Amino acid sequence: MYPLELTVNGRSCQVAVDFKTTLLEVLRDKLFITSPKVGCNTGDCGTCSVLLNGKLVRSCITNALSAQGKEIITVEGIAKAGELHPLQEAFHENYGAQCGFCTPGMILASKALLDENPKPTREEAKEALSGNLCRCTGYVKILDSVMAAAEKMGGPQGS
Amino acid sequence: MAEGQFLKAESPQEACALLARHGGKARLLAGGTDLMVALNLRQSSPEVLVYIGDSGLNYIKEEGDNLIIGAGTALSEILDSALVKEKAPLLVETISHMASVAIRNVGTIGGNLANASPAADSATALLALGASLKIVSKGGERTVPVGQFFTGPGKSVLGADEIIQEIWIPAQAEGTKWGYRKIGKRKAQSLSIVSVAICCPLNGGTCKGVRIALGAVAPTPILAVGASALLEGKTLNESLINETAKAAANATSPVDDVRSSAWYRRRASEALVRQLLANMSA
Amino acid sequence: METKVVGQRVTRYDGMAHVTGETHFVDDVIVPGTLKIKALRSPVIKGKVRRLDTSAAERIPGVAGVITAADVPCNAFGIIPDQPVLAENIRYRGEPIAAVAAVDEDTAMEAIHAMKLDVEEEPYVLDPVEAMKTDAPQVRPEGNIFTFGERNFRQIILGDVEEGFGKADFIVENEYLHPSLEHAQLEPMASLAVPHATGKLTIYTVSQALYFHLGMLCGILQMDPEKVQCKQWAARTGSSWRHNAGYSDINYVGGTVGGGFGAKNDIHADHITALLALKTGQPCKWRWTREEDLLYSTFRGAWRMNIKDGITKDGRIVARQIRSIRDAGAYSSLNPYVVDKHSYLAAGPYFIENLYVQGYCVYTNKPPASSMRGFGITPATFSTEVQMDRIAEKVGMDPWEIRFLNAYRKGEQMATRRVLNSVALVEVMQKLAEKAGVDLPEKLKSMTSMERG
Repeated sequence: MYPLELTVNGRSCQVAVDFKTTLLEVLRDKLFITSPKVGCNTGDCGTCSVLLNGKLVRSCITNALSAQGKEIITVEGIAKAGELHPLQEAFHENYGAQCGFCTPGMILASKALLDENPKPTREEAKEALSGNLCRCTGYVKILDSVMAAAEKMGGPQGS
Repeated sequence: MAEGQFLKAESPQEACALLARHGGKARLLAGGTDLMVALNLRQSSPEVLVYIGDSGLNYIKEEGDNLIIGAGTALSEILDSALVKEKAPLLVETISHMASVAIRNVGTIGGNLANASPAADSATALLALGASLKIVSKGGERTVPVGQFFTGPGKSVLGADEIIQEIWIPAQAEGTKWGYRKIGKRKAQSLSIVSVAICCPLNGGTCKGVRIALGAVAPTPILAVGASALLEGKTLNESLINETAKAAANATSPVDDVRSSAWYRRRASEALVRQLLANMSA
Repeated sequence: METKVVGQRVTRYDGMAHVTGETHFVDDVIVPGTLKIKALRSPVIKGKVRRLDTSAAERIPGVAGVITAADVPCNAFGIIPDQPVLAENIRYRGEPIAAVAAVDEDTAMEAIHAMKLDVEEEPYVLDPVEAMKTDAPQVRPEGNIFTFGERNFRQIILGDVEEGFGKADFIVENEYLHPSLEHAQLEPMASLAVPHATGKLTIYTVSQALYFHLGMLCGILQMDPEKVQCKQWAARTGSSWRHNAGYSDINYVGGTVGGGFGAKNDIHADHITALLALKTGQPCKWRWTREEDLLYSTFRGAWRMNIKDGITKDGRIVARQIRSIRDAGAYSSLNPYVVDKHSYLAAGPYFIENLYVQGYCVYTNKPPASSMRGFGITPATFSTEVQMDRIAEKVGMDPWEIRFLNAYRKGEQMATRRVLNSVALVEVMQKLAEKAGVDLPEKLKSMTSMERG
């Protein structure tokens, strides 16, 4: 057993893990944060996606101990004091979610994109989300949501 | 709780020492994009994980005529590196087609090589670039050209107590043309069915030391040496390109598997080599 | 007219929960003390369980309970109750034989590996065409072909196809093969069962068909001791879901489904999870791996369709003969229903005076096929539409025109004897052509579904 310290959604957490516990197991089973999902457990579907020190990762194949001392953000952590993140608003208004299973991962992948590239083209958005699978929507409304969020969040032209 | 040790190596030397001590019971963990999958599927049951994600293997630098990439460098870092874009744009292009953002953010180039899949995309590029690997162990170090690193599907010359420390990419000659194409079952996040990387140094319009690398079409990534020999000292033209492409396809020994068939792989190899060379002659 | 809902943008009632991560799928429901389940799945394609020794598994610390076929009160379920919860006579590789509930998945897997299984292998058949032969290995005691009433196929018959073929100028005959297709819904199969001190059970389910499954579960679990014996009742009703008693014994919680598309029209995990919850007296959760889901959950079964059409030189189909074989896999599941729907609509939305459809439902030693979007009609549509293009080619006609000519009109009768009143295929095609930028000839632009012009 090993002690693990992490910051999750701004909160400092301490849990005990073993040598192969995954970050997904820590989040779901120990911290009861259930938005990252077990879709495949092999890093293929993207439903477990979280932000680790700002980078998009697959929590299902992230060894928990390798995240020692790092900062994790899940979709529960992107809203600020009762106000939804523009991405969450955009996904809701543009019907970017149907069953909702891919949605947390999709929103975080979109956030990772917009954090790095605030004015993506639709093609760039497609590329950035190509690691997140959705079996319900056919992706069109998901991309609509991302582009709408980018516009919402965008500064003046050229900035 | 599962029983096993998680040992954090602070340096490559420490990693080697830990591997030597624990032998076959230990596995190296960097990004984990291959190993953690195997653990989750219960396909691998090491007793010790030697974690090298924070052991000083993450760097990109230039030394003389060589571009040197630490084996523990994440694929996304290589993708974003201005230096690599300048010195080895073929590698940047190749990595941009690998896996997905989240996998590239943690998966390392060393891990991709050490996993030794015949479809390892970085290997195809590195073969075409004429790269070598610096391998270290408790006993010392050795340099192995990428073309001599792979010995079979999932197999390499890497000993149980050795780790890849660095990848050395020699400077490409002025005016070298390059090309890369990969075919997978999807446009993104797809294991290669066929991949081709070509580096074509041109000396006053004639080919000199062309390297044609193919992936996923043989037990290991390969260089079509006979095919590229056809180009030596010649100018690219349609009939020569066709002949070279055929020779490259003949150098492959593809199999039927869940992703594709030997027939398709052979045909696609020829088509891709022809396309890439045709682009270079334009 | 101002409408409140029609034509308006309506907010999804679950949208906010989805984008905030609040939506709880079955695996997200956390009940303290929940045990984890793993199943022992058959390593052979067909066989009999000679001996199953679970004693070593039960002794492993952390193992709370093991169930085998003997632990199932009524070990037969389905709309046609021919599928066991836990098998003794194995019909497909991967079929569940036993299951264990333990403190964690690793312990449960250890228990599975500690079980000693002795299976007598038997000959099997994988190809439905092979399975239809009289000397084929028998997938089930009643034979490999499902009986629809008196026939071993669903028959749809109108007019006389042989006469029709006699009147035809061209014959177009083709075979269409459809591979099986997996839903790959993003949420794998899962179930959580919580036993209560009152003897009742709460089950969190991924089911797409709550009432079907609630009824089946009541049958499997035989919650009410007053109930008739399983065999009598199953024989009498022919299905479990019509039996009303016992619904109140199960608090069946569902409706939040992470994708189904027909995958979750069958019970995959609820029955075994419930049984272990009742046996151990503790909450039990079974979460299938993606591998299990891809290999063993239901899927759209494969089809072979042979279509023979007789066509006049002016492009009318005067006779259509369809022979369809559905690969049902090892159990009935929804296959007979799928074959019914397929057969009713196989000929397509076209008025054909002489029609003969035979829909076969054939068993093979593979996991059972079941429903997936379209319920048997999707493969039919693909086949008939490709066939229409081939007919057009043969006759030398435009593919649009072939369809306009043969499309149903109001008042015409389907082979199932339904007289059609609400028909709009002609108008739909006209609108489609407009949207696709195809300029149809006047003759087609002026056609109407209201009458055959």
